[in-house]
Amino acid sequence: MVGVYKQYWRINVLTTLEYRENFLIWFAFTFVYHGTSVLALWIVLNRFPSMNGWSFRDMAFLYGLWMLAHAVHNTFFSTVGDIPDHIRDGEFDRLLVRPLDTLFQAIATPGQIFPDELLLGLITFGVVTWYAGVRVDATFVLFVPLIVLGGALIDLAFNLIISTVAFWFVRVDALRWIVVQLEQEFTRYPITIYSRGVRTLLTFVVPFAFMNYFPARFFLHKAHEGAMLPAYVGLLTPAIGIAFVAIAYAFWRVGLNRYSGVGN
Amino acid sequence: MTAPAQAQLTRRPRFRLEPYIQFAQKAAAREATYRFDVFTTIASVLVRVYLLRMVWIALYARNVTSEDLPLHAIITYSTVALLMGLVMDIDQTRTLHDKLHSGGIATDFMKPINVPLYFFSDGSGEVLFHAVLIVPSLLFSLLIVHIDVPGPLVLATFFASFFLGYLVGFCVNFIMNCIAFWTLEIHAARLIVTWVSDLFGGEVIPLVIFPLFLQKVAFVLPFAAMFSTPLLIYVGVIKPERYAQALGSQAFWVIVLGLVATLMWRAGAKRVVVQGG
Repeated sequence: MVGVYKQYWRINVLTTLEYRENFLIWFAFTFVYHGTSVLALWIVLNRFPSMNGWSFRDMAFLYGLWMLAHAVHNTFFSTVGDIPDHIRDGEFDRLLVRPLDTLFQAIATPGQIFPDELLLGLITFGVVTWYAGVRVDATFVLFVPLIVLGGALIDLAFNLIISTVAFWFVRVDALRWIVVQLEQEFTRYPITIYSRGVRTLLTFVVPFAFMNYFPARFFLHKAHEGAMLPAYVGLLTPAIGIAFVAIAYAFWRVGLNRYSGVGN
Repeated sequence: MTAPAQAQLTRRPRFRLEPYIQFAQKAAAREATYRFDVFTTIASVLVRVYLLRMVWIALYARNVTSEDLPLHAIITYSTVALLMGLVMDIDQTRTLHDKLHSGGIATDFMKPINVPLYFFSDGSGEVLFHAVLIVPSLLFSLLIVHIDVPGPLVLATFFASFFLGYLVGFCVNFIMNCIAFWTLEIHAARLIVTWVSDLFGGEVIPLVIFPLFLQKVAFVLPFAAMFSTPLLIYVGVIKPERYAQALGSQAFWVIVLGLVATLMWRAGAKRVVVQGG
């Protein structure tokens, strides 16, 4: 399996190198996308310097943390989102008869994936950590990689759940689009600005708040704000990520059994 | 040049409007078949109305507020912007790009129709269908936010300005899709233009909140004519004595971009016909 995975990345990188101009355009695309988002935050916080006690520096850290986790997901797991297409055009059935785990094969379907967003995410995260004045101590070094991975797993869980829905409803594009939109917009601000119901939703049901808000609150020492959860929940992101991926995987198994059971 | 194309050029049929109305109706019917998309579109507008309301409340609670735009005005601004987005954010001439990709454009040139006008009516049909969605979106939005309603003069000017903004948006969109005559990989470039226009068009953040140097940049670009002008008229930041100037600058952009679009279309169409369709 490791060998297959290595080959998969080799093909990805080679394909990308072959279409160099495309790669440059997509790099510009990633850059402008995050650039305009951060610029929008800066414009607003330049005019109104505090959002519920969060300055632009804090918000930049909040954004950088989400961006990095999201980039890890997009680089390593985004192919999960192509599963509905494979189901629609029949490609998926080929994966079923091969002697490797179906989900693994779906993840390792070569395309044109290059770690441009990951690179940009790492640089951005470094810059915002310095800019927000976050102290880089042992806890930071130990936990940040785990938190980023946990955040990527939360992303993966939702990506997988939506793709699994495609076993029942063929077209899930609109559903995916709405979830992606909501994730982007709701992770951009500290969740204290929302009503109680929405905060609960973002914490326990669609736990996007664990991707960046709770960890950022821990590292920026803002746990006193709002009598919500204690500061250390910010370090629980990896556990939350694993739990949600487990739930998503169980759902995936149900969908898969149903799909191959009907004799497709 | 193929024979039918030549025939079209030499023997131009009398112009009739009915086919174009039919094109628009067909486009609207096509859109209506994606019912699930209709539902998610409305839901997503409502969620964003809620989100922006909370964002502005949080920002206004702890800062020195803007005199030009009090809290209720900025919430009105955001909500009206989201409703306008239902119509403005549509890629109306995507069919042009698709047809250039598939080669289907060649047969369009053989038909006795004005091809750019065909794309305009096809896109407008799609847009009109989405315009209908404004009604339920507005009604549900009123459950979440309060929207200021200005007097009849302001409202009438707003709609005029909105229409000019739509034309500017159509031209920008058409120009972007015309690029596909030369290079087919325009997806990333399109999205980049979309994000820049979202930000500098004042769709999310009113341009009057921008720092001065960025305001200057924004007002030089055509994007401000799409969202910012009608919205600032609606919330009363642009006063009646400046209406003529505001609508005039929008009209200016319609003419300039319309001209660019026409030139690009002619050059592109020539390429297709010369290459033999």
